[in-house]
Amino acid sequence: MHFFSVVKWIAWKDLLSEYRNRENISSMFFFALNVILIFSFSFSLDPETLKEIMPGIIWVAFGFTAIIGLGKSFLIEVNNDCMEYFQCLPVPKGAIYLGKFLGNLLFMLTVEIVLFPLFVLFFNLTLLDQFLPLLLISAVATIGLSALGTLFSALTVQIRAREVMFPILLLPLSVPIFIGAVEATRGALSGAPLSSYQHWIELLGVFDVIFVVVSFWIFEFILDY
Amino acid sequence: MKGLYLRWGVLMMVFAVIGFLAISRYNRDVRTISPRVLLSESPSAEKRLMGMIDAGSLKRGSDGVPFRFSLSSEGVKASVIFLGDDTESLRDLKTIVVVGRWKAEKGVFEAAEIRLTPNYNFVTSAYVFSLIPLILLIFSMERRVALLYVMIKEEKVYQAAV
Amino acid sequence: MVATRFIGWLRRFEKWFGFVAAILIAAGLYTGLVTSSPDYYQGEVVRIMYVHVPFVQTAMLSYFTLFVCSIWYLWKRESVVDNACHAAAGLSLFFTAGGLLTGSIWGKPTWNAWWVWDPRLTSFAILFLTLVGYLMLRTFLEDKEKGATFCAILAIIGFIDLPIIHFSVEWWRSLHQPSSISTRGISIAPDMMVPFTLMGVGVSILFAYMLMVRTQMLYLQHLLEAKQGRLLSEGQFE
Repeated sequence: MHFFSVVKWIAWKDLLSEYRNRENISSMFFFALNVILIFSFSFSLDPETLKEIMPGIIWVAFGFTAIIGLGKSFLIEVNNDCMEYFQCLPVPKGAIYLGKFLGNLLFMLTVEIVLFPLFVLFFNLTLLDQFLPLLLISAVATIGLSALGTLFSALTVQIRAREVMFPILLLPLSVPIFIGAVEATRGALSGAPLSSYQHWIELLGVFDVIFVVVSFWIFEFILDY
Repeated sequence: MKGLYLRWGVLMMVFAVIGFLAISRYNRDVRTISPRVLLSESPSAEKRLMGMIDAGSLKRGSDGVPFRFSLSSEGVKASVIFLGDDTESLRDLKTIVVVGRWKAEKGVFEAAEIRLTPNYNFVTSAYVFSLIPLILLIFSMERRVALLYVMIKEEKVYQAAV
Repeated sequence: MVATRFIGWLRRFEKWFGFVAAILIAAGLYTGLVTSSPDYYQGEVVRIMYVHVPFVQTAMLSYFTLFVCSIWYLWKRESVVDNACHAAAGLSLFFTAGGLLTGSIWGKPTWNAWWVWDPRLTSFAILFLTLVGYLMLRTFLEDKEKGATFCAILAIIGFIDLPIIHFSVEWWRSLHQPSSISTRGISIAPDMMVPFTLMGVGVSILFAYMLMVRTQMLYLQHLLEAKQGRLLSEGQFE
């Protein structure tokens, strides 16, 4: 069970350091808040059009959250020269990936849960009756974003231009997540039954599984230098 | 290097010949004239006339009398009598190409066939924008490879760069 | 040394590929532009298809080559294979850009739109962006071996993602609008099959030729820098 203890240890380390100085979560949160404010200023509050574009606004805000927050996943290790120590762990290096992935997932879910009430506030949505489907959609889509984001963060963290390279790599390849999440959220917000949009959630699930598995196996090569 | 330029010279001549044949085919089979040219030059051979059918000028003839409409382009009108069969696609304000002869004594263009507008500037630009960068890329890569071989041969191995 | 033998093999055979490609493309252009007749529905504009479809097919072929070479590099770690990966990525970007451009030029007279959010077009544009990201990553990573490894990883992830993107967008379009737009909805007359086949095979062989030349170019650049003492490690060369 050495493998799972490494996963747990890395995730716990990240959560603990985040709890002590909340810089990552707070920067993610305030950036998303800014995006929401700008959207609520730029679009007139005509309820029909607002209902059309609301899922897009929600997922653009969460996408920006991912870009800001996930790019720094491995920054602490690189700055403190810990990447070589990862090599010494006698576990498949995918364990490190899973630990980081779980930490990122929890950060992003926290920020999203805090942001949803703000959407209700600024855009006059009624989310309470759709709470469970929305939670499910957010969870599944965030798993996918986290999976891709952690992998690309490991690829770009040592570059000087990492702030630029990370979104350039992440955004094209996460298009299925955004399409699936927006369509599922649209179905949920319009009050349709779950069966009408559940194939989007299935698409997100397939994406998640493929990406976590592939990244897990490929992580071996990233630390292999 | 000389073989490189020779090969490319032959290739460019082949493409020039093909281009010339393509242009001559265009002039022979595709090129259209406008009503202005028709009225000013009055050619007698079979020509392709392109223009927009004027609103309200489409007169369907009763049995035995053919279609009449006027085509206009750049402000010049030419009246057309259409003797052919497929008349369903004729509508007001549609741009078409008709194939026929100019009858100067009657002042009408007698047409038997309708064609689609050629849109050849799109075809030309697609070919130009795709094939010319391709040729430039291949040529620059081959030239660079030839230059590198020459430079490596000249470079002596155990001599540090000054 | 394996690399030198491989480069010698490339040098010997590339001329044949280039020659066959040149003949096929010349024949394809001749039959496409001079002897074949225009399409019944699309008119002369169908001639754009004679360059567009081969470019798109070659773009997908070249991305597949990039994927295979990336796996080979992660397995064997040979520098020449990395050169082949870099070459394939550059060529893939070129053919993808050419495909997007010619497709857009074809779309304007046919659909009266420069761009539509079709499954095929969207996944093709995503492919273009992935390749741009690949080349930027390679430029930004200074250490060559790490750059090669990371880019190989990116190519593999991108290849796995492309079918997912294609299916997800197809799902999305088919729900929004019955997809009546297709790039080849009409059965092809035999008169038009000849230029299609000639150009398709010709451009694919041309891609093989360009890959050989470009791999050589990158390898030789590397070799020249090593001989000039600019590389810290010359371990790949004798």
